[in-house]
Amino acid sequence: MPESPAPQPVSPPRRARTEEQSNQAAADRELMRRLQGGDDAAFASFYRRFAPGLFSMIYQILQDQKEAEDVLQEAFVQMWKKTGTYDSARSGLFTWATMISRNKAIDRLRSRQRRHRAVEAATAEFAAVPPEGAEQADELLGKSEERERVRTALTQLPDQQREAIHLAFFGGMTQAEIADKLGAPLGTVKARIRRGLLALRAVMEPAAS
Amino acid sequence: MNEELEEQASLSAFDLLEGAERAAFETRLAGDSVLQAQVDSLREIAAQTAHAAPCRQPPDYLEAKILNAIRAETSVAPRATSSAWLPWALAACLALGCVVLLADRAQSKKQITRLEQRNAFAQLRIATLASQIQSEPDAIGAVVWDGTRQEGVLKVSNVPANAEDRDYQLWIVDPDYKNPVDAGAFHVAQAGSNDIPFKPKKHVTSASAFAVSLERKGGVPKAEGPMVLVGK
Repeated sequence: MPESPAPQPVSPPRRARTEEQSNQAAADRELMRRLQGGDDAAFASFYRRFAPGLFSMIYQILQDQKEAEDVLQEAFVQMWKKTGTYDSARSGLFTWATMISRNKAIDRLRSRQRRHRAVEAATAEFAAVPPEGAEQADELLGKSEERERVRTALTQLPDQQREAIHLAFFGGMTQAEIADKLGAPLGTVKARIRRGLLALRAVMEPAAS
Repeated sequence: MNEELEEQASLSAFDLLEGAERAAFETRLAGDSVLQAQVDSLREIAAQTAHAAPCRQPPDYLEAKILNAIRAETSVAPRATSSAWLPWALAACLALGCVVLLADRAQSKKQITRLEQRNAFAQLRIATLASQIQSEPDAIGAVVWDGTRQEGVLKVSNVPANAEDRDYQLWIVDPDYKNPVDAGAFHVAQAGSNDIPFKPKKHVTSASAFAVSLERKGGVPKAEGPMVLVGK
C-alpha cells in the first residue's frame, strides 16, 4: 500500500515572525554572550528557562527519574563547557540546548541497554498526544502556546509518519532499528521521516515575510 | 533539491546518519550552503519535537546541585599532562600505522582493534583512510590522533603529487560541529609516503571520522573540492 502523502497544513496557520520572537532571539544572543563570559548568574537564568522542558524530554527518552536527573546535570555541565560551539546564525538556543541534552539522554539509554523497554513505554504514552494533565503543567512552564502548536502539528501527521518521527527523536535507535520496530522496509521508514519532518515544518515554520 | 538529498538532510536532523553515509553527507554539507540551510531548518523543527514529551518538572534541589557542579568545573584547573611521552607514543603508533598500511584490510582492522584496546594508547585514536579516487585506488592514509593534546599525525601513501595551485586539506568530523573541522592544508610534492603533523582549528571533542580533500592553495574554510581519502 502506498504511503500517504504529507498532509497539507490546515491549522494552525503559518505565522509571521512576531516582534516577540525577534525579541526572544535577541535575548538568546545576550544570554549566550553572558554565558560565554562565564557568568554563573546568567547560567542560573538559563537553567530556569530551559530545565523543565529539557527534563521532560530526557525523562521521555529514559523513563527513569534518577537517570533523567543525572543526565540533565551532565547536559547542563556540557553546555556550560561548550558555549563556544553555539552559533546563533545556525540555530536557536532552544535547539542547541535540546540537541545536546537529547544526545546525552540517548547515550545513556544505549549504555544501559534498556532501549526496548523504554521505547515501548514512550510509544504507548506518545499515542495519547496531547496527554491528559499536561495542560496544567504547560501553563506552569509558560510554554503552553508553543507546546500546543507542536502537538497540534503532530496530530495532523498520518499515524505512520508521527510514529516514525517519534522514534527518530525519542527512541535512540538507528535507522535499521526503527525499520525493524515498525516492521517496514528501511526505505519506507526514511521516506516517512522525511515527509513527516517536512510536513511539520510546513505547519510550524513562520512564513517568510 | 532532490528527494534523496532531502531524505539525508531529514535523517541528519535527527542524527540518524551513520558511518560512510554520514561522512559523505557531512563532507558534501561542508561545501553546500543551500544544503546547510536546509539541514539547519529541519534541525530546528526536529528539536521542536521535544515539546511532545509530557511535562515533568525537575526536582527543586537539582538546580543547586547542577550550579554547584558547574562551579566545581570552573574551579578545576586544566589537567597538566606530560608531553615527554608524546613523541615516542606518536612515533610508535605511526610505525604501527605503517605496518597496518602494508597489511590487508581485514588484518588492519584487527590490529587497530588491538591497538585501541591497549592501555598505553588509551588516549590515542587511530584511523585508516581509504582512497576515494578511482584512478588512484592504492592511495591510503592513517591518522594517529591525540584528543587530549589536540594534535596528531597523518601519514599518506601513494597520494598523487598535487599541482602548485592546489593543496590537500585534512578534515575531522566531530558530532559537536555541523561542519567538519579544518585540520590544515598540506602539499604533496612527490608521490610516496608523507608524514603530516596537524592541529585542528577548533577544539575537537570526538573525532568520529577523518577526510582529505583537494582544495585551493592554502586551504578553504569549508570543503569544496573532491574527496581524496575518507575513513574512521
